Amino acid sequence: MKWSLTSPEDANATSLSDDFVEEQIKRNVAFAKLEDLIAWGRAHSLWPFNFGLSCCYVEMATAFTSRHDIARFGSEVIRATPRQADLMVISGTCFLKMAPVIQRLYEQLLEPRWIISMGSCANSGGMYDIYSVVQGVDKFIPVDVYVPGCPPRPEALMQGLMMLQESIGKERRPLSWVAGDQSIIKPEKISMRDQLTAKRIMATELREPKDV
Amino acid sequence: MQAAEATVTNVVESSLYRKFGQELFISQQCADQKLTLWIDRNRLIEVLQFLKLSFPMLYDLFAIDERTRANRAGQPDSDFTVVYHLLSLDTNEDMRIKVALNESDPDLPTSIGVWPNANWYEREAWDMFGVTFSGHPNLFRILLPPTWEGHALRKDHPARATEMAPFEMGPERVAKEQEALKFRPEDWGMKKSNDDNEYMFLNLGPNHPSVHGVFRIMLQLDGEVIVDSVPDIGYHHRGAEKMGERQTWHTYIPYTDRIDYLGGVMNNLAYVQSIETLAGIKVPDRAKVIRIMLSELFRISSHLVFYGTFVQDVGQMSPVFYMFADRERLFGIIEAITGGRMHPAWFRIGGVAQDLPNGWEVMIRTFIDSMPARLDHYDKMSMQNKMLKDRTVGIGAYSQQEAIDWGVTGPSLRATGSDWDVRKKRPYGGYDQFEFEVPTAVHGDCYDRAVLRIEEMRQSLKIIRQCIDNMPEGPYKSDHSATTPPPKERTMEDIETLIHHFLNVSWGPVIPEGEASVMIEATKGVNSYHLISDGGTGSYRTRIRTPSFPHLQQIPLISNGLMIPDLIAIIASIDFVMADVDR
Repeated sequence: MKWSLTSPEDANATSLSDDFVEEQIKRNVAFAKLEDLIAWGRAHSLWPFNFGLSCCYVEMATAFTSRHDIARFGSEVIRATPRQADLMVISGTCFLKMAPVIQRLYEQLLEPRWIISMGSCANSGGMYDIYSVVQGVDKFIPVDVYVPGCPPRPEALMQGLMMLQESIGKERRPLSWVAGDQSIIKPEKISMRDQLTAKRIMATELREPKDV
Repeated sequence: MQAAEATVTNVVESSLYRKFGQELFISQQCADQKLTLWIDRNRLIEVLQFLKLSFPMLYDLFAIDERTRANRAGQPDSDFTVVYHLLSLDTNEDMRIKVALNESDPDLPTSIGVWPNANWYEREAWDMFGVTFSGHPNLFRILLPPTWEGHALRKDHPARATEMAPFEMGPERVAKEQEALKFRPEDWGMKKSNDDNEYMFLNLGPNHPSVHGVFRIMLQLDGEVIVDSVPDIGYHHRGAEKMGERQTWHTYIPYTDRIDYLGGVMNNLAYVQSIETLAGIKVPDRAKVIRIMLSELFRISSHLVFYGTFVQDVGQMSPVFYMFADRERLFGIIEAITGGRMHPAWFRIGGVAQDLPNGWEVMIRTFIDSMPARLDHYDKMSMQNKMLKDRTVGIGAYSQQEAIDWGVTGPSLRATGSDWDVRKKRPYGGYDQFEFEVPTAVHGDCYDRAVLRIEEMRQSLKIIRQCIDNMPEGPYKSDHSATTPPPKERTMEDIETLIHHFLNVSWGPVIPEGEASVMIEATKGVNSYHLISDGGTGSYRTRIRTPSFPHLQQIPLISNGLMIPDLIAIIASIDFVMADVDR
């Protein structure tokens, strides 16, 4: 970046150099395809719904607070109503009695909307294969990112959020309801386990838990 | 049986026999040595009324499906048994009354007239076992959805979701379930209007930022004033009691962590102590002190969440960030010791999972040295704030008598002036070796409940410091044969140890038949696991008595007549988590 100092008296006398104008244009104007720009905007302005079910919600709340501070990833405008939110984190067990309520809240979320399933219970029922628990929230609503753990650490939720943002950035939606392709193209879901297994099995020495 | 000491229980027992005749009662020997008497259902209410004079609190009420239980020697025939667990704070004694019921006619008179908090317990017994209580005004389902069929804790009801019909949530199902969840004031005997105007009915929850989880409360409003309210629970029912019948004694431990999910290993303690009582395991000193140290760390962690959310709910937005930052530092310690954060599941039958790691004392000392000054700071920031005081002083107050009537325990009880703390009154797991005070308050309002918990954190710091200063040497688990997993050192040297190790790891230990429950002072009140062993590798019945269940039941009593914002302050001051209510 280039800059220069002028005294106030000379300010009017100084004409803007071509360099300066060009520099300013470079700094302030971006060229992109409209759909890329919109996708980028969507990815970085997620408004999460303040929704929690059980233990996982406490770790989710921890992700909002100082140590982890989810605001760093542009996702801190927590809304108390689904009608103002586009991201819902299913943080906790999907109880049978709660399922119709979750369904309704999901329907009230703004379109386009995304779901993160947080924790083993929401992913699959987890350790609760029991009469009063739905075996995974994806039994009735579509899930974009699954975050494993019981409960997942706040860092894991943040990783899940970043993965979702990356995926939303690649998502293509119709720009208008009268023009172009009307289908929603979502990128293929990736499995972190598949990506990391090769690296993980390289570990041959595991630290013993005898030291802090 | 021990020599007849002149305990109140003995006096009560003999006066019971004098009044009603000894032939009416059958005495049962339990592993925890608590007086347990079987009586006939026709005389139940009379007997309970008589007993209330000596045992003013209904500590717990639950049912047992006895139909497949093999070892019941000396007990009367019964298909379903209803148990009344009574407690006296003054004399610090408790006893159980059991009533046998036949499958064809599982009916009892309601005891709401004796103890108001029997209401929800009876609804739960009906929901889970199909036991009816005649005279009960609202015998509706409480934990499972109103559309549920069958009674889940009966032995012939499937346990697994995967054993039942596949889950579907089509539009008809949603409509049906939503219709069933609709609140009908007439079902609760509420009028829709008074002479002047119509009441408004407001549904708060089950998803609302200030209800701390999935809790619902229906409000009958006259303007902004709450005329009456009906708490609705069950949205967090995870079938933890049924799970106890499926898991082995040992593999159930992780489920206990998730009961009071802010209390972590404190839950393990309540559970393993009951097993240790059944099996007669003596825990070595080092394990006892480690357990106390970790439990108190978790008490601080839980109270920090309470503190942050309490002040946030009455309008202060920033303190919660400080409290959660402290909690993170505390979790650093928990993680270094146990490897887990919220749910370490780290206690074992007969001890703890492993020894403390090198360097643990430095970490904990750094934390407890820094905490008092921070608590002072928070006190200035939050508790001395005039607005917070205006919102909470004198709000949601109840008397000690009301607390006892409604089964309130823990800090919520001590805020009314009682000093009943299980750690002092019935020192379990080595608490008698520690010096600490039991803070009390007098007004029983929201502010006092908060102040008391903050003081409890300071007392916990004191206990933890004593743990560090006096950590005993020695083994971290017992060498009793039921200890799980058993010590491994000798397994490769003698066959006996190897066999024990193999069996206890693959099947889990066999716990002798019997019944026991041991109370602990958990983060939110008194918690205990009433475990029934039929002499197998798993529990026959796991009854989890949680403190938050009666605390929520009592909300209408303290919030009717107040405004909605006061209700929010009350909910925040109760300090509950829904898993501790619905299990």
